[in-house]
Amino acid sequence: MKNALEISGLTKTYPDFVLDHISFTVPSGSIVGLIGENGAGKSTTINAALGLVQKEDGVVSVLDREELDGDIKEQIGVVFDGSNYPEILSPRKLNRVMKNIYSSWDEKIYFDLLKQFSLPQDKQIKQFSKGMKMKLAISAALSHHSKLLILDEATSGLDPVVRDDILDMLLDFVQDEEHSILVSSHITSDLEKIADYIVFIHEGKVVFEMPKDELTEQYGIIKCGAAQFEALDKSELIAYRKMDYEWQALVSDRERMQKKYPKAMIVPATIDEIMLLYVKGEGKR
Amino acid sequence: MKGVLVKDLYIARSNILVTVVSLIVLGFGLSFLLESSALLVLAPVVSTTAAFISITSDAASKWNKNVITMPVSRNQIIGEKFLFYILLALTGMLTALVPCLIFFCFGGDVTFDSLCLYGTIGISACLLAGGISLPCAYLFDPEKSQIVFMMSFMAGTGIIAGFVLLTNLIFPVKEHILLTFNIVLAISAVWFFISYRIAVKVYQKQDIT
Repeated sequence: MKNALEISGLTKTYPDFVLDHISFTVPSGSIVGLIGENGAGKSTTINAALGLVQKEDGVVSVLDREELDGDIKEQIGVVFDGSNYPEILSPRKLNRVMKNIYSSWDEKIYFDLLKQFSLPQDKQIKQFSKGMKMKLAISAALSHHSKLLILDEATSGLDPVVRDDILDMLLDFVQDEEHSILVSSHITSDLEKIADYIVFIHEGKVVFEMPKDELTEQYGIIKCGAAQFEALDKSELIAYRKMDYEWQALVSDRERMQKKYPKAMIVPATIDEIMLLYVKGEGKR
Repeated sequence: MKGVLVKDLYIARSNILVTVVSLIVLGFGLSFLLESSALLVLAPVVSTTAAFISITSDAASKWNKNVITMPVSRNQIIGEKFLFYILLALTGMLTALVPCLIFFCFGGDVTFDSLCLYGTIGISACLLAGGISLPCAYLFDPEKSQIVFMMSFMAGTGIIAGFVLLTNLIFPVKEHILLTFNIVLAISAVWFFISYRIAVKVYQKQDIT
């Protein structure tokens, strides 16, 4: 299996928003980060891929199968932002529920993960903090031998310590080459730590899909004054933006541009900066 | 489906105290005002509120979204809710039989015929009401469906009254009271099944966000 998830031409129309022919893949053994501002279409993409919303067009192939039947769902672990389970339940009761839903449910893994995350087994979920709820959701998602993990804004609103614990857990998960993760987040620093590929969605369209290392190692931002900016060849700029005291221009090949403009200050671009320039900047994109 | 039912039973268990206390209070109240067996009319209605609580709780906790990603089909999700509703109605009925039997032992006005009659009316009202409120709980937002839920029992009772009046035009209901309410029960069961099929159809195409 080459790709754990393949999305091709996924389209969904709402009165005020269109998810417009979204296409990208999640290669097996990799972590793909889905980025974009709020309302860009990340959650709609995930919801459509999981069959939560009816797609109008396009093909979604999960673990080499286009039909999301029970067998495939057994192999997908999903974690949504916030609450995922009835809050009246405790983790122990949730285990009884889940073992009657997943034929591959592994109680040992589940209770080991609860222990690892220091989660109480008999406390009601409503008494859990947001971080504890998220750890519980991840524990459940990992307890049925999932091959593909899909997390939608799972680290939003969590403190850095909890986020780090979760990121470590995700990195552990993809040590197995058959395991893959699609994680949507607007906390791009998290994705810089763990993602192998970045898919950027803006206004319902995929702006780019590329390896994270290519983005962070090759992309750069030219920071310059107005005169120097005027001298730049605009066709080589992906996007540019006038800041308070300088111009910032995004380029896809930092080294080549540095050779061409030796006096320009070109710094490596973070994913946040790339996203901001794409969304707020002008230029060819 | 079994796991989803287990989850709903946990939710029902968390409300069981309220249900049992309500039934006991209603039982004693009715024993003074009406016949004790009339509790069987209210028991299924009171006990099935847990089904509605489970639907709103599913939406509030986003379980309704999460469960779609699990190896449970949409058909099974709806089927489980309807099954859960029937189980609750029967449990309520059986629970209500306990005070009725106690009243019987202490010389109360409880007869087998009155138990059958009120039991049939209770289950019929419950099936008619569930047939209205359950699909609506998936169609409307929680506030609207809460209103529909409350109205559905009144609607159920109204439909029964209307049917009995119509039947009275064909044959005297008072002389064939059990037969009349058995027909009502059969119609209610058919309506509940049709409602289930409609709910399945609606839910298949529904976007869950």
